[in-house]
Amino acid sequence: MRGFSSFYMGTMAADSGLLLSLVEEFVSGLQDSKAKDTATAVKDGQFTVLQLVEALGVSLTSSQPHTRARGVQMLSEVLLESYGNLSEKEVEVLIAFYENRLKDHYVVTSPVLQGLRALTKCKTLPPGSAVSMLKSLFQDVHVQSLMLVERSCVYNMLINLMETREAELKGLGADFVFGFVQSMDGERDPRNLLLAFQIAKNIIHRGYDLGKFTEELFEVTSCYFPIDFTPPPSDAHGITKEELIEALRAVLTGTPKFAEFLLPLIIEKLDSDVQSAKLDSLQTLTACVSRYEHKDLAEFLEGLWASLRREVFQTSSEKIESAGLAALSALTSCLSRSVLNSDSEDSLSTFLEIVLKDCKHHLCEPDLKLVWPSAKLLQAACSASSRASHIITSAVMPSLIEQYDNRTQCSHRRTLLEVVQRFIQSVKNSQSSENEESVFLAFRQSLCSMVFSALSETNSSLQITATSVLTSLAQQTGLLLDADIELAVDHLIRLLLTEEDDRVSCAVVECAGALAELHPAAFITKLIPRLKRELFSEPIEEGDENRRTSELHSHHAVRQRCLSALAAISMQPSVVQESTPVLLEVLSSAHTGTVRFSVEEMVLACRSLQRIAEQVRDTEETGQCFHDIIIPRLLSLALQAALQDQGSSGCLSPIVEEVVLSAMVPVISTSCSRLQPMLAGQTASRAVSLFLDGDVSFLPDNSFPSNIQLLKKQQGDSWTQSQMVCLLMGCVSSLPRSVEVPQIDRLLSQLEEMSCSCNHPLSYMSAAKCFASLVNKRPLGDCLDSLIQRMMNRVCSELDSASSPIRIQAFTLMIWVAKALLLRYHPLSTALTDKLLSLLDDADLGVMAADGFSLLMCDSVDVLNRGCHADIRIMYRQRFFRENSAKLVQGFNAAPQEKKPNYLKALSNIVNKLPKQVQVTELPALLSLLLEALSCPDQGVQLSTLSCLEPVLIDPPAALIQQLEALVSRLLALVGSSVMNVRIASLRCIHALSRFPVHEILPFRARVLKALARPLDDKKRLVRSEAVQARGEWFLLGSPGGR
Amino acid sequence: MKEALSLLKRISAHPDSRCWFVSWSPSGTLLASCGGDKAIRIWGREGDSWICKSVLQDGHQRTVRKVAWSPCGNYLASASFDATTCIWKKKEDDFESLTVLEGHENEVKCVAWAPSGNLLATCSRDKSVWVWEVDEEDEYECVTVVNSHTQDVKHVVWHPTQELLASASYDNTICIYKEEDDDWECRATLQGHTSTVWSLSFDATGNRLASCSDDRTVKIWKEFPNESGQSDLSWMCVCTLTGYHGRTVYDVAWCRLTGALATACGDDAVRVFKEDTSGDPDQPVFSLAAQVNKAHSQDVNCVAWNPKEPGLLASCSDNGEIAIWRFQEQ
Amino acid sequence: MSGGTRLENANPVIFQRSGERLLTAADEDEDVHDPIDDREIFDLIRSINDPEHPLSLEELNVVEQVRVKVNDAESTVSVQFTPTIPHCSMATLIGLSVKVKLLRSLPDRFKIDVHITPGTHASEEAVNKQLADKERVAAALENSSLLEVVNQCLSTRSI
Repeated sequence: MRGFSSFYMGTMAADSGLLLSLVEEFVSGLQDSKAKDTATAVKDGQFTVLQLVEALGVSLTSSQPHTRARGVQMLSEVLLESYGNLSEKEVEVLIAFYENRLKDHYVVTSPVLQGLRALTKCKTLPPGSAVSMLKSLFQDVHVQSLMLVERSCVYNMLINLMETREAELKGLGADFVFGFVQSMDGERDPRNLLLAFQIAKNIIHRGYDLGKFTEELFEVTSCYFPIDFTPPPSDAHGITKEELIEALRAVLTGTPKFAEFLLPLIIEKLDSDVQSAKLDSLQTLTACVSRYEHKDLAEFLEGLWASLRREVFQTSSEKIESAGLAALSALTSCLSRSVLNSDSEDSLSTFLEIVLKDCKHHLCEPDLKLVWPSAKLLQAACSASSRASHIITSAVMPSLIEQYDNRTQCSHRRTLLEVVQRFIQSVKNSQSSENEESVFLAFRQSLCSMVFSALSETNSSLQITATSVLTSLAQQTGLLLDADIELAVDHLIRLLLTEEDDRVSCAVVECAGALAELHPAAFITKLIPRLKRELFSEPIEEGDENRRTSELHSHHAVRQRCLSALAAISMQPSVVQESTPVLLEVLSSAHTGTVRFSVEEMVLACRSLQRIAEQVRDTEETGQCFHDIIIPRLLSLALQAALQDQGSSGCLSPIVEEVVLSAMVPVISTSCSRLQPMLAGQTASRAVSLFLDGDVSFLPDNSFPSNIQLLKKQQGDSWTQSQMVCLLMGCVSSLPRSVEVPQIDRLLSQLEEMSCSCNHPLSYMSAAKCFASLVNKRPLGDCLDSLIQRMMNRVCSELDSASSPIRIQAFTLMIWVAKALLLRYHPLSTALTDKLLSLLDDADLGVMAADGFSLLMCDSVDVLNRGCHADIRIMYRQRFFRENSAKLVQGFNAAPQEKKPNYLKALSNIVNKLPKQVQVTELPALLSLLLEALSCPDQGVQLSTLSCLEPVLIDPPAALIQQLEALVSRLLALVGSSVMNVRIASLRCIHALSRFPVHEILPFRARVLKALARPLDDKKRLVRSEAVQARGEWFLLGSPGGR
Repeated sequence: MKEALSLLKRISAHPDSRCWFVSWSPSGTLLASCGGDKAIRIWGREGDSWICKSVLQDGHQRTVRKVAWSPCGNYLASASFDATTCIWKKKEDDFESLTVLEGHENEVKCVAWAPSGNLLATCSRDKSVWVWEVDEEDEYECVTVVNSHTQDVKHVVWHPTQELLASASYDNTICIYKEEDDDWECRATLQGHTSTVWSLSFDATGNRLASCSDDRTVKIWKEFPNESGQSDLSWMCVCTLTGYHGRTVYDVAWCRLTGALATACGDDAVRVFKEDTSGDPDQPVFSLAAQVNKAHSQDVNCVAWNPKEPGLLASCSDNGEIAIWRFQEQ
Repeated sequence: MSGGTRLENANPVIFQRSGERLLTAADEDEDVHDPIDDREIFDLIRSINDPEHPLSLEELNVVEQVRVKVNDAESTVSVQFTPTIPHCSMATLIGLSVKVKLLRSLPDRFKIDVHITPGTHASEEAVNKQLADKERVAAALENSSLLEVVNQCLSTRSI
């Protein structure tokens, strides 16, 4: 104190009137704001801190502790604001003063600590002051007797000093650790604990000397393990249990020095009955062993294993089981890191021996419960390292193989096979490099014969499991020989052609796909030719009617499987080169009639082509294939069919069927959307010149007439040519935006003409969609605006004339163009949507207009989606909703009673498609309308409203809870609907209500249970099943053991 | 035959719950019902309709299994799964809880007032039957605990005129008790039923006792003079009604005015049997006089004849309903 | 389940779960009346949790579809269940869970009988008699600790 006074005596400033009055008002006038004013003045350079100290002189030396405290408080508060401006000399003096004050009356301690904390933030802290500050602190203050805020102050000081004065603190040696341990011993506040854990973590991770206080540091932190903390209901600090768990875990698992204390603690806590304690223990174990070496673990291995085994064997919770498995994996991988030397024992193999001893024999009991936990434990160990996988597989595989050979029951064999499968997969994770030899090499022969024998069984589950084992084996580098693959392909062919169980054939197709990607050759030489032969054979025409029908039926099923297999295997370009000609031949044979295929089979062939276009890898090589061969072939076939002289044969080619033609569209559009820009441009210009000018030069089988005019109105409303426009749509609608479509204006005008004049739905609809998707990609500008304006005038004049014969066509064009513009935020879209809104009152088009809102909000499958490179702005739905919901509500209120359902339907169509968060924020405003929609007699409205409510109910907004009475009544009323889907949807909503806060819904329990008794006897099973689930949950509400 | 039993009224007495039992007041003007909703309701006729006069709530924490009127009609006793028996006293048009009899270890299944009104019997799943004495100050004192059954005691019933008590049990037997030297003792064990005996009813004279059981039969037992001259009573089964009931028979009621025997059955039916009076009294013959198959949509738990109006029958069911029937002989 | 407790039957035989019932065209046809059949009843009870193991009654083969009989027209259901071991102390509890599940899930017109598969349990008759006694069942369900266990058996598993 003396040194301090002499210091300020010498630097007394002349201009101190203002300062003195500030001090006076703060210290004795108790005006807290004056500290802030002073701080501002200090920061502005009006006074220095030392001038403040001088001014405070009397208060600081007062005989009244409270006056001294007030004086120190003012100084500290100023320092907290202005610590950045202090010089080293000033800091030195201040520290000396504060250290001295630590011994003062307890009321002074709090402001002293505040001041010290401010000083710990100074960059200008003189050397040695950190140490002296801490020495005084640890010596003179008993931290746990302080108030919460003061303790927090101490922790913050430590944290600040650790950031800037690490070397100095380390110089304190173990005294620092000891001081900290004493400071935090007994801390109970979660906020302070987070700080204390951070300090402990820093001590460990930054290499402070723990000296002889390792155990003390462990004790003082581990006493909080496992964390058991539930934040109070109105917790303002937002500290979660998870934060505390993570912070503590970082401390406990930070150093191997803790191993001897932590591992026994974990073993003890795993014995707890509290699930969260078990889980925390397991996760902590997983975390700590990643830092340990085998010698840290050695003496605890048996105990740890016993606990892990018990948790996995007996658990009733999947979370705990998987945490236990992860811990075993981590443990094993820690042991695997130990370096083998000749004189010490191999701790990995010693450990795995115990694991094997306890688990292996359970693998021989494939019908008992413990087979799975045992397998999972072994697999967890297996996946830890390459060495572990060698030890375990060599111990386990022979007996699994032997078991499989000796067991005759299919269910046992299947279990064994699944266990094997999981071993193969667990090893996949541990293999360090692709080229490493498979650990299963020694068992290749046995594994293959196991799989092939299972594939030959009649039990479908066994077959399915076998296909996935086969896939896994094929994925092991270098495991299967060419001969094995060939044999596998034979099996797959046999199953494809003979196996009728859908689940089996799906698995077989999937397996073929996976194998063909890795080993294409065998599929090209064996499978494709065999499938082709099968596809083009015709069913036997003999026998009685019944026999023929069933023959036909199974023949169709075989073809179906062949077609989907051809798609599945076509990943590699070499396979695509062979498989696509087969699929095209199906279509052309069907067209010429050389081999009969049903329409359904033709559609499947198209689907397979589409799937190939979607999944194929190398776009360059296969792009060429699609561009040169597949697209021209499809166009040519369709054109031949369209031009076919109906008179001669009397019947049309099946290719003109709408379903077939529509199935061709996505083949073309998918491949176009993925083409290289150059090829895409070529395709576009070929297609445009074909459709505008009848240019057929690029088509194969070029024997077409020269005067083809596909977009012009045909004689006698013939639609076979006009509907070809859907293929044009396929060609030009999905191109990247950079690709220019030639003759665009002429093309657009002809499309507009067709969509407004044609009577054939597929034709005018496709023309409208094609028009809309081109408009969507056109660059902004006057040209586009006048195009839209022209179209709008035409459409509106048709719509405004009630007698117009083409109102539906006009509406179709309008809605698609509205969508195209809405997606890209084009300013003219508003005019179109306003028109759409006005049509909700229309006598003929009202319902269609309401449904139109769904079209606007949904992703369209064939055009105007991202896959088609359409111009789509993010959040266009929200924007649309914002701009139109008020108009809809207004329209609803103004509409005549019989038109109101249209508005509700339109609204629920929009809300239905909004993202969840938006629904939640918008719902309060719309809730009354949606509730009204629930009572609307239109079943479509009910259904759509229910489906938009259901997801919102999962996490209900407060507004909904306030309307619970109305909601429950309306939902319960809908349970009696005559429409099955309404009953189902309302029951699902009632089910979702059961997860609302219990106290809110408990009052409804009896009523809901009573109302749900009736649908238990519904005539439809699907309704009963929903009622059972919903009622079951409501029964559990407020009931012991329930919720 | 169907017309013999005609429905007068259905009352939704304990909605969303089950109605376990109904009991007529001695004057026949009031009907008390109790159920799974822990409540007792008092019903009175007003013209053609039945009005709920009062609801006795908050007396019990669990299901009220049975209710019984005192012979004077001024008290009501209720037995509950909450292990207590509640005594209610009539006060003007309402009832107030007078006292709670505690002592049974678990569910009290039945309570019955002796004809004198001075004694009360209760029985429980704890296998015991308790007899309580009532004094003028409305004080109740347990005078005896009898443990003659080896399983739950389902029902107790007093002889119409004497101080003689009968109990029915899950152990398939019926016990008859008499007081001797201030202590109640089991004086006869009636064996014959092959499953739980659910209920008992004396005829008007008290010479015969009807019992009904989970074995789907009703038995008629008759007291015979004891030949050995010892104190034990001799009761024999003189008639067994088999083949009528499709499931457990939960209750039997013998009308003291007409001699008709009504049953409540788990097959949802109410049946009435009449005795062929011309036969040998030691070998009585009963024939089915009326049957309503879907008397209720669920199990029928109880039947009760009105003590004053011949042929007026009340029944109640798991669906919470009471039905009032008129039985008329053809 | 606490770490230290020993299970009566720690390593029971496990059976495969049957798949979900396949949807038929008739199921989705508004006009067709789907009668309540054995499979539907089986689907109600097969996923009930065993009180001891983290397994369903189906996986332990305690319930099987062949031991379920329903007559929709006559409104009767009869289920037999097979305890995993003849002295299983959980038999009554399992039976009670099955009964309660059916009581909550079936229209109240049904008469529900739950029995032990003949010859598979030491106290077969006693358990059957208890399960058939609706008064005891009703009282059991007013006992909160018993109800808690039953509700846990009927909850969809979480944690």
